[in-house]
Amino acid sequence: MEQYSILGRIGEGAHGIVFKAKHIETGETVALKKVALRKLEEGIPNQALREIKALQEIQDNQHVVKLKDFFPHGTGFVLVFDFMLSDLSEVIRNYQRPLSPAQVKGYMMMLLQGVAFLHHNNIMHRDLKPANLLISSSGHLKVADFGLARLFINQGERLYSHQVATRWYRAPELLYGARKYDEGVDLWAVGCIFGELLNSSPLFPGENDIEQLCCVLRVLGTPTRNTWPEMVDLPDYNKITFKENPAIPLEEIVPDTSPQAIDLLYHFLVYPSRQRCSATQALIHPYFFSTPLPAHHSELPIPQRGGFPPRQRLQAPPPDFSVDLPKENSVVNPALLRPHASCL
Amino acid sequence: MFHNSSQKKFWIYKNEDELEQLRCAANEKFRRKALESGKPAAGDAMLLERREEDALFRHYERRLLDFCCAFKPVMPKSVVGTAIMYFRRFYLNNSIMEYHPRIIMLTCAYLSCKVDEFNVSSTQFVANLLQETPAGQERVAEQILEYELLLIQQLNFHLVVHNPYRPMEGLLIDLKTRYPILENPESLRKSADDFLTQAAMTDAGLLFSPSQIALTAILNSASRAGLNMESYLTEFLGLKEDKETLSKMYDSMRRMKTLLKKYELPKQEEVNFYKQKLERIHAEFSASSNKRKRGYEEDDHMAKEPRLTEEDWTDEDLL
Repeated sequence: MEQYSILGRIGEGAHGIVFKAKHIETGETVALKKVALRKLEEGIPNQALREIKALQEIQDNQHVVKLKDFFPHGTGFVLVFDFMLSDLSEVIRNYQRPLSPAQVKGYMMMLLQGVAFLHHNNIMHRDLKPANLLISSSGHLKVADFGLARLFINQGERLYSHQVATRWYRAPELLYGARKYDEGVDLWAVGCIFGELLNSSPLFPGENDIEQLCCVLRVLGTPTRNTWPEMVDLPDYNKITFKENPAIPLEEIVPDTSPQAIDLLYHFLVYPSRQRCSATQALIHPYFFSTPLPAHHSELPIPQRGGFPPRQRLQAPPPDFSVDLPKENSVVNPALLRPHASCL
Repeated sequence: MFHNSSQKKFWIYKNEDELEQLRCAANEKFRRKALESGKPAAGDAMLLERREEDALFRHYERRLLDFCCAFKPVMPKSVVGTAIMYFRRFYLNNSIMEYHPRIIMLTCAYLSCKVDEFNVSSTQFVANLLQETPAGQERVAEQILEYELLLIQQLNFHLVVHNPYRPMEGLLIDLKTRYPILENPESLRKSADDFLTQAAMTDAGLLFSPSQIALTAILNSASRAGLNMESYLTEFLGLKEDKETLSKMYDSMRRMKTLLKKYELPKQEEVNFYKQKLERIHAEFSASSNKRKRGYEEDDHMAKEPRLTEEDWTDEDLL
């Protein structure tokens, strides 16, 4: 801990307080996640163990946060991550204009690269949402918060908890209480995030679990044995029934969107998990190869975390001159200078 | 995946000698520390020799296995395998004279449950210490939590262990689908399972990949049943043209079988004698700096002092 000097508090995560700090030796700014052993009777929390477990088994990837170090401190321990300026939820909320199609594409590409990497390494994140997608000072998106992450090896016939993922991004099979599921739950969340980027507002903002299912059903239509054969085996399938309801075309849900974007969205937002497009496949979807091409990370907004309200900050100062204005407005008339020049 | 795991990168060693060197170094380190402490009792005669340490290690490892096998609810095999692997990794760099295996073995099992998502509460966990009173169980639970972070640190935060159980299932499926010469692959299971259990109590897991261990288990089981499966290796695992890999494979299998053959539980009298020694060593040297050793720094928030030392309960109470 002596190696770091604390610069301030960033926020409170699921399992501890996060500080901004400086590594004294290198001058590097980092985020320190302090994991306190709050529930003394159970020791180190499972969430922290999952995070260490997942991040220790993977190599570096540009689009996944890096666990730089960890050490015991006080009655708990500290995880050290790269410091990130912001997260995608802030970008969606605060950016003064809706994101441009190229910017949305840029974010989606980075998100899918991160998710493809995790799935390739047999890690289900299980809690993808804009707030867990951090944005670096260079505009890079990195998947973070592995408190619910799960390795899908070594599990055999074991059951998982369906109480995962933040509600708005929770896949329909989880809403129906599925205990056996796969990385498809992450791909559903990717679809929700995609829709949210396009619309600047969440796609399925359910107030509670039942309403969440209603939100999904309203858009995708009531599932049938044809559209979702596995549905009948889900634990809560018989507990709730909904009125028959046709699907609404996604073009109406996400208006003013290119046909390729809509097509890709359709590939994520389908009931059977196995039919959802894998992250690797999605990356070669025509969407990413048509104009406008994905924005470079330097063209993406980077709001300050907890800094000035972005609206103010992003307002450019009045220009001294501009190519659009008449030349006379910005160029000084030489006649005005004559009296001053004569005294030289 | 194993091939890019922390296990492959950091916890697979070249040979038995390398492991023995590490353990000797750990023993040596404690000896030096004991001598430096200047305590009159710190003579060589009082301390445990490597050989003696090893006997006690095997004794406690066996207790760990028994504890896990008797555990209620039934512990999945992978949890047991991970616990034993933690135990082996821990004592690769630490002497049992430094940290008492009685509490470390339970901490390994507890951490393994958590890491492998076999969710039992600490109360439930210690309720498996059948000989303990509820108050005694509570004390053990406290100690486990005190050592948990130390264990994680000694494991270098590498928590994922790849066990040979799943590769074995995979091989059985492969045999059923692609190797019809073998009539009843399931008949190999029993003896292959036993092989894996025995292998867990050796250094196999620190020397070979889980799939190598699983393959050896299957082939060993077949040869005991008088079946020749060589063609499976050459034809179906594609090793026919690759003489080098094939001979390496055979060499690994031979080494593994030697490890298993060499294994024996220490005799009870032997164990009792070394245990007395161990208790004296811990009484003499361990009480002083517990808190630091357990991984936690001094901190104002440190809620409670460890109320008592391990000597308050004995491992006879465990089972």
